Amino acid sequence: MADVEAVIQLKNVTKTYHLGGETLNALDNVNLTIQPGDFVAITGPSGSGKSTLANIIGGLDKPTSGNVIVDGSDLAELHDAKLSAYRNKHIGFVFQSFNLQATNTALENVSLPLVFQRMGSKARKARGVEVLQAVGLGDRIKFKPTQLSGGQRQRVAIARALAIKPSIILADEPTGNLDSARGQEIIKLLHDLNKQGITLIIITHDLSIARQAGRIVEIRDGKLVERRA
Amino acid sequence: MKTIDYIRMAFRNIWRSKLRSALTIFAVVIGATSVTIMLTLVFSIKGFFTQQFEANGTLQQVAVSPQSGVSDYNSISNNGGGQGNCGAGTCTKLTDALVTKITALPHVVGVARATSSLPFAAIVFSGKPYTLQGVAAYDANGIITNNIVAGRDINATDQSGVVTVPSIYADKWGYKNNYKALVGQQIELETQGFYSGVGATIQKPNTSGPNNPPSPSNQQAPTYIKATVVGISSNGGGGGGGGQSNAVRVPLPWARLMEEQQMYQQTPGSQGGQNCGSRGQCQPAQPQFTLVVTNNLAQNGYDALTVKVDSATNANGVASSIRKLGVGAASAQSFIKSQLAIFNVIGLVLGGIGGIALAVAAVGVVNTMVMAILERTREIGVMRAVGAKRSTVSRLFTIEASVLGFLGGVIGLLIGYVLILIANPIINKQLKLNSIHTSNIINLPIWLILSVIGVTTLIGMLAGLYPARRAAKLDPVEALHYE
Repeated sequence: MADVEAVIQLKNVTKTYHLGGETLNALDNVNLTIQPGDFVAITGPSGSGKSTLANIIGGLDKPTSGNVIVDGSDLAELHDAKLSAYRNKHIGFVFQSFNLQATNTALENVSLPLVFQRMGSKARKARGVEVLQAVGLGDRIKFKPTQLSGGQRQRVAIARALAIKPSIILADEPTGNLDSARGQEIIKLLHDLNKQGITLIIITHDLSIARQAGRIVEIRDGKLVERRA
Repeated sequence: MKTIDYIRMAFRNIWRSKLRSALTIFAVVIGATSVTIMLTLVFSIKGFFTQQFEANGTLQQVAVSPQSGVSDYNSISNNGGGQGNCGAGTCTKLTDALVTKITALPHVVGVARATSSLPFAAIVFSGKPYTLQGVAAYDANGIITNNIVAGRDINATDQSGVVTVPSIYADKWGYKNNYKALVGQQIELETQGFYSGVGATIQKPNTSGPNNPPSPSNQQAPTYIKATVVGISSNGGGGGGGGQSNAVRVPLPWARLMEEQQMYQQTPGSQGGQNCGSRGQCQPAQPQFTLVVTNNLAQNGYDALTVKVDSATNANGVASSIRKLGVGAASAQSFIKSQLAIFNVIGLVLGGIGGIALAVAAVGVVNTMVMAILERTREIGVMRAVGAKRSTVSRLFTIEASVLGFLGGVIGLLIGYVLILIANPIINKQLKLNSIHTSNIINLPIWLILSVIGVTTLIGMLAGLYPARRAAKLDPVEALHYE
């Protein structure tokens, strides 16, 4: 599925926030390598820096220092247009609160990233239907998020991530708003996508989910303190 | 992102917040409608005036006045020069000799001589006198036009006994809807007391006393000069250099006779001697009087001349050449230019008022877009996460604001157009009442349509720049977590 075999390398990545007079190191000299097709769970307590790490890998944020090498390019050096293109072509984001547009149908939500790829409307529709069918929502394409259950909404969000045929899926607490049964379904769906070759990075503080990953990376106070296979 | 997708997305977002968008568009509509109506009126009236001047050949005319150096068409045209209207300035009589000189100038096609100083007090119809607004005469050579609505105009073969009357009299006389019926009817022109022209009875002075005053005097009974109505002119038509737009027109040869002044003058040497009889009785000699005829037109010249030039572009040059002959002369072009300049100023003022409305609307657009960004911060975050560039977000909001302006402009134009459709029949009716044979003078020109749409779209776009910049600068991570 992936059109790029992405190797993600974080070298001495530090992310510093200045809050009032205080300086906070969200990430402190982090080094991490993720191989193509890996299923990595990033865990840690709230405020530990795991979301910051995911945002930096996803090109939504830039490190204060250090390098983030993806497929040979240093994301820290890329300007907005190239960083946006990187997100648009390689990264599929799945958020805890789904982040779907309430006034748009499932199909329109799924097609959104394709709009930024300048894809024609017919091709967008075809691709949108295809991915919605892939996540089991082929009969809900014209439903609006408010007409769908929590689990179905997250499936739409996953379909949106899949629409661009990403090499990496970054899921930030994807089951945080779901009951355990629906949560397991979503994790299974993501796991299945990983089996198809997509690198899967899940940010979670739920150890039962983290244990299903091939690798667990734990962050505490901005430092990578533990790695387990 | 494709342009069509930007536009689709903009329309969709506007549709999402219908009420707020509608209110914002409404503000633009008010501005666009006022600009449309105001500028359409100004430019249509301006066009109508120009058209009228072109249609009656005024642009090819030069008005000539006896007042030396005068170059204001309006003052010459309205005052009609006037034989005794020189004020403090110098005057040169508008004589036939001068007319010959003017006719010989390059680009001059012809000259119409005009007089409006004819000594009449009233026009009598069916035995009832009506106040005259003037009696004018000018050459029937087609240079000065008389807009005839019934019957015919005075022509070159008419010598005397015929008149055209403005419809204002016909209306008073009960011929409002049947001007044709007035043609062929008799009227009388009641002269002023001192009249001594053609038709006047001049009393020979009593020769019994030595100090009889010569006639006529102001106490003389008026003369009634009969004439047949041959045509009805529209009000405000004709006159030209004669300076009398609502004047009764008489043939110029007849006017020349009316301008004659007849008076008895004592024959020199006929008083002071004695007539002595055969018986040596002498009596004082009786004074002898001779009827002397002078002509005011020949003595004082014409009131005004209207010179026809071969082309409108030569009118100013000819006016300048005529002024060198010691008289006042002005082309209608300079007058029209000043008139049109007034319209330009009115257009600017009215356009400015509409502009203020549009500026207020622009503030509304800014407010709407800032609100939209606050509401859609999370959505912007998602767009950025799935690949939208800062410039894409910025363009999206700018286009959305432009669409608000565009829709306001289009709706404003439609409302303006409907108002014009309503106004034209009302104006047509008024024009018809004034015997002006033109209709639908209020037109919405294509350039104004495009300008209004362009300007409102541009205002929307400019108003959207600041909110769009704010949207583009949003940090995607913060935007995604915005509550």
